[in-house]
Amino acid sequence: MFRRTLWALAAIPILAAAPAVALLAPIASAQTVDEIIAKHIAARGGMEKLTAVKSLRQTGKMMLPQGMELPFTVIAKRPKSTRMEFSFQGMTGAQVCDGTMAWSVMPFMGKKDPEPMGADETRNMLEQADFDGPLVDYKTKGNTVELAGKEQVEGADAYKLKVTMKSGDVRYMFLDTESYLEVKVEEKRTIRGTEVEGESLLGDYREEGGMMMAHSIENRQKGMTQGQKMTIEKVELNLDVPDSLFTMPRVAAAPDSSKAPASAASADSSKSGAKKAAAGKKN
Amino acid sequence: MRGPRSRVPFAAACVVAALVACAAGDGLAQKPATAPAAARSDEITIDAETFGGVSLRSIGPAAMSGRIAAIDAVEGDRLTLYVGAAGGGVWKSQDGGTTFEPVFDKYCQSIGAIAIDRRRPKTVWVGTGESWTRNSVSVGDGIYKTTDGGDNWQRMGLEDCERIARIVTDPQRSDTVYVAATGHLWDAGQQRGVFRTRDGGKTWTRVLFVDENTGCADVAIDPSDPNTLYAAMWQFRRRPWSFSSGGPGSGLYKSTDGGDTWRKLTKGLPAGDLGRIGISVSPARPSRVYAFVEAKRKAMFRSDDKGETWTEGSSAATVTERPFYFAIVVADPKDPNRVYKTSTGLWASEDSSRTFSAIGGGVHSDFHALWINPRNPEQLFCGTDGGVYTSVDRGNTWRFLGNIPVGQFYHVSYDMEWPYNVYGGLQDNGSWTGPSRRPGGIANRHWRVLGGGDGFWAFVDPNTPDIAYVEYQDGNILRVARSTGETKQIKPLEDPKDAEYRFNWNTPIHVSASKAGTLYMGSQFLFRSRDHGDTWERISPDLTTNDPAKLKQAESGGLSVDNSSAENHCTIFTICESPKNPDVVWVGTDDGNVQLTRDGGKTWTNVGKKIPGLPPATWVTCIEASHFDEGTAFATFDGHGLGDMRTYLYKTADFGRTWQSLATDGLKGYAHVVRQDLVRPDLLFLGTEFGLFVSIDGGAQWAPIRGNFPPVAVRDLAIHPRDGDLLVATHGRALWILDDLTPLRTLTRDLAMKDAAILPSRPSVMVIPASEQRFDASEYAGQVPQEAAFVTYYLKKRQLFGDIRLQFFDAKGTLISTVPGGKRRGINRVAWPMRMKAPKVPPSGNLVPLGFAAFGPRLPAGDYPVKMIRGNDTLTTTVTLVADPRSTHTVADRAVQQETTLKLYKDLETLSYVVDAIVDVRDQARARVAGLGDKDALAKKLAGVADRLETLRRTVVASREGGQLAGEEQLREKMGSLYGAVNGYEGRPTGSQLKFVDVLEGKMAGAQRDFEAIAKDLPVVNADLATKKLQPIAAMSRDDWQKRQKN
Repeated sequence: MFRRTLWALAAIPILAAAPAVALLAPIASAQTVDEIIAKHIAARGGMEKLTAVKSLRQTGKMMLPQGMELPFTVIAKRPKSTRMEFSFQGMTGAQVCDGTMAWSVMPFMGKKDPEPMGADETRNMLEQADFDGPLVDYKTKGNTVELAGKEQVEGADAYKLKVTMKSGDVRYMFLDTESYLEVKVEEKRTIRGTEVEGESLLGDYREEGGMMMAHSIENRQKGMTQGQKMTIEKVELNLDVPDSLFTMPRVAAAPDSSKAPASAASADSSKSGAKKAAAGKKN
Repeated sequence: MRGPRSRVPFAAACVVAALVACAAGDGLAQKPATAPAAARSDEITIDAETFGGVSLRSIGPAAMSGRIAAIDAVEGDRLTLYVGAAGGGVWKSQDGGTTFEPVFDKYCQSIGAIAIDRRRPKTVWVGTGESWTRNSVSVGDGIYKTTDGGDNWQRMGLEDCERIARIVTDPQRSDTVYVAATGHLWDAGQQRGVFRTRDGGKTWTRVLFVDENTGCADVAIDPSDPNTLYAAMWQFRRRPWSFSSGGPGSGLYKSTDGGDTWRKLTKGLPAGDLGRIGISVSPARPSRVYAFVEAKRKAMFRSDDKGETWTEGSSAATVTERPFYFAIVVADPKDPNRVYKTSTGLWASEDSSRTFSAIGGGVHSDFHALWINPRNPEQLFCGTDGGVYTSVDRGNTWRFLGNIPVGQFYHVSYDMEWPYNVYGGLQDNGSWTGPSRRPGGIANRHWRVLGGGDGFWAFVDPNTPDIAYVEYQDGNILRVARSTGETKQIKPLEDPKDAEYRFNWNTPIHVSASKAGTLYMGSQFLFRSRDHGDTWERISPDLTTNDPAKLKQAESGGLSVDNSSAENHCTIFTICESPKNPDVVWVGTDDGNVQLTRDGGKTWTNVGKKIPGLPPATWVTCIEASHFDEGTAFATFDGHGLGDMRTYLYKTADFGRTWQSLATDGLKGYAHVVRQDLVRPDLLFLGTEFGLFVSIDGGAQWAPIRGNFPPVAVRDLAIHPRDGDLLVATHGRALWILDDLTPLRTLTRDLAMKDAAILPSRPSVMVIPASEQRFDASEYAGQVPQEAAFVTYYLKKRQLFGDIRLQFFDAKGTLISTVPGGKRRGINRVAWPMRMKAPKVPPSGNLVPLGFAAFGPRLPAGDYPVKMIRGNDTLTTTVTLVADPRSTHTVADRAVQQETTLKLYKDLETLSYVVDAIVDVRDQARARVAGLGDKDALAKKLAGVADRLETLRRTVVASREGGQLAGEEQLREKMGSLYGAVNGYEGRPTGSQLKFVDVLEGKMAGAQRDFEAIAKDLPVVNADLATKKLQPIAAMSRDDWQKRQKN
């Protein structure tokens, strides 16, 4: 359950960026999809800047009802590796994709071992691990994009782009008609054969490394009024990120806990060095 | 939060539930009648997006659901089902009917037909405008198509055909589709008959047309030869006072060339005028065709030669009754001799229509749709006046699908309990009451029936709240004791001195706001009772036109007389006593009179004779007497019964001497109801056939309230006088609530000129924490308010760049929490949880069990300053938190609870420090060991320190693998559970709990002492480390720890 909520986080193109000065070119009467996408990429900072980013780390907070705030970190590395972590009651969970498979650690119910994700989830994780998002180089990636008209998003006009992924999955991306930045994504996931629809609203664009990125993301089930709000407080670009962060650790055969020595495997996550480094904590 | 979609795991509430296993909290186009006063051109637009952030709660119920007009499904390993409601849009189920979600919320909500393209099942056609042409039927606006299973829809034309009875797709060529366009009900029209497209709906050809008064009621295709089609042409007309089915235009037609040419089938069919006809080709033997034919002698017919000749089958009254309302014939997919016919009941024939027997009971009456699984004809889905039912034994037994809230409410009201209950009556589903909120959602089981029949007005007596007044059609008013259910019929009965009483189908009842026990109701006369309906006094002459031409309901129906009181006319339809002066009473009639008395009924004046722009005899749907001035009233009029779909809305400020139109281009749909706010005179709400509208300037400009609210018919509105909620009765999507009108009461045009402005909210009630479990995801749960205080503000423009955040402070100015703000244009509503942040809990192997352990302490009642920070601009406001009015806890007991919760909250933080410090030193020691090698003496000493710390840690936190099921509870778990228990109850904690706080604090102090004792030995170890030029081990201080805490 938890991880599904976090998918939406992964759904956001890792680099959603724009120049500080928004492109305010007059809107042509009949723009082609390629023109809109070109302006979108320019708005995000241009191909040169986008491709110069090899890795990044986003740190922030996720707000849940009743005042619960979950700190989270997302680390992404080209071409298709992502790792996200979130903490609750002192425990840290992770969802990771190494570009070919996806796995997770969910210690909340007393198990700290990594587990591979199911086929549906893996497929979604892989799709979302696309570093630049599905619009950049969409043809090379085998995606097709159609302009499906204009709609209002939060009271402003947006282009509605229908993006059909190579896999056949469809998502709708909404680009603000003034700034060409992405303001909303609607997508479907298939869970055990049933389609589930969600949407993400993007906002609070701010400059990061000469580009601008969305710093607030609200995920919600399509049509619902309340969602889960995520605030990105810090963005770091081009960190040295070892590939080992994304590789699923091999799990030793389960020890018999009753006989285990005091310093051996305990269920808590208080001494997970790799994770702490990943989460950017020094202790 | 819990809506029809709550099963889908995006909702954060689910996460919390799953994670914390928490059971706490609330689960969390028609032209206007006349041109309006032009809006000032320099002004900001107030439009749908201004109110896009205003969301209403759909409270259901789905306990009775509502009228269903169409069902289609694709069988397969999984059954995908589309349900079209008469007034409530399209609902899709991907799981064979366990759960449903609405997929048509942006479009016309009256559905006449649904057809899935069986070759490409993601392509679905929806014809809007129901064709079960009862008096309350709505109108459609064309045919729609989706190619992605309902995510996106495109209107494909036929905008003016008003209603569509059937769509069939060519089984071999998906782009070829036939439409039975029933057409206009209340006037003549050209867009009716059979339409055909061969290009997937881009262009349409009207391939069969009889005349402007005759539409098509059914079309069927031969599955073995798609060029063979049958069409049922139907001549019909409804007026406010009559209905007529049948005439020379009606007939059964056949085409063998894909609709290019048609000829009338007559052999074996009744002679003379025909009425409505239903057709079904047997999929098992396509040469066999069944038809139900309305004629002077109504009957079922069978043809075994593709319609060329017909044999009469059953003409039983039960099978053939009310053809305009029941005319579906469905041949069994596998057995050519089995055929179903809808009626008040559902009838099945096993002998090719000669005889019929009733299917099983336990199902709502009035069948309008039936789908049979072609793979397994034992499985049926039917649509009734009361929702969708499914059967796995060919209709012997049925199961109700309680997840489709499409009730057709006529009216809504409230009581003054806390939380208040709502009341209302529905089409063919009686009168109900249910709570406005409930922990975890308002379930079907929380609703209660107060009366049967078709329900309309329902009220609680304001001075005697155990009394409810409800009614059923034809003025049958009932007085119900809510406590016992005892019911007394209190309808005014005929007085020999008077003419026979005529009551409208939807007879008005009005409860006086000013005089206890006083209520009004109207036939053609106005009645008043001063004693809860035990005696009635007639206080008016006939207030209608009493036009004999409109008093022929006994003859209504055409070929099949249908006098159900639905066509009763020249009756009173709306009554309103002025809240400012009980002697001033307004009455509106269905034949266009606006009658006013200013002396309590002694004298009456028709003040509706000269209303500019209003055609004479236009139905008066609502009169709303002003809450501020006795000479002022608002009125809505509805001409759709004569084909006039315009929006009529007027105001008078001089007792009806002059009227001013308040209708603008921003309005759509014929008008049902207008309400003036109880606090701000310029704030008006209007309900029309196509939605809910608001004006913040007395009606100069109107905007639709959409947000999450569909363009559904809004029949009634009520404003809760204490809570300031707007209650919305929809005719197709049950009941909705717009919580807290306070922000709208502040939004003015001048304010909307500002870039940003805060709109105040009402005090936020901290609802008593309670929970209810539900185990049935297939049952609808009405949405309840979030457990939060709301800060509402207005933004002139959508903000894409930069942050908006809200900071909440306590009275001393200490920051409690920061919440990200909304950035949409118009109104934003941001929830604040009324709690401190969640407690810090030491890391461990599992979650602290109790739900409330996951939440921060609730804040005490009081005022909390708020800053809204937007770039360099800061706006301020105050949020007021108040206790639940039901709460009986004393201030002193609350204080003990808050103090104890806070104490444990802080203890958990201290404990987190202690554990972190233990782990920190332990890991430093282990790290030094790694540099020394196992045999080194210092290494052994260090390992000893680490082991002592680890042993200590294991007395503080549970560390056994297996989560909560490991059953291990250490200090952390005990303290967390105690915190959760105390935090979840807002009165005085138990004596045991209070004592246990001391016990746990003692243990914590012990753990802290133990740690300090170990830390005391560190200098010795550090000296040894120094000799080996290794870094000394430092124990983390509380201050150091505090600095590292970001969250």
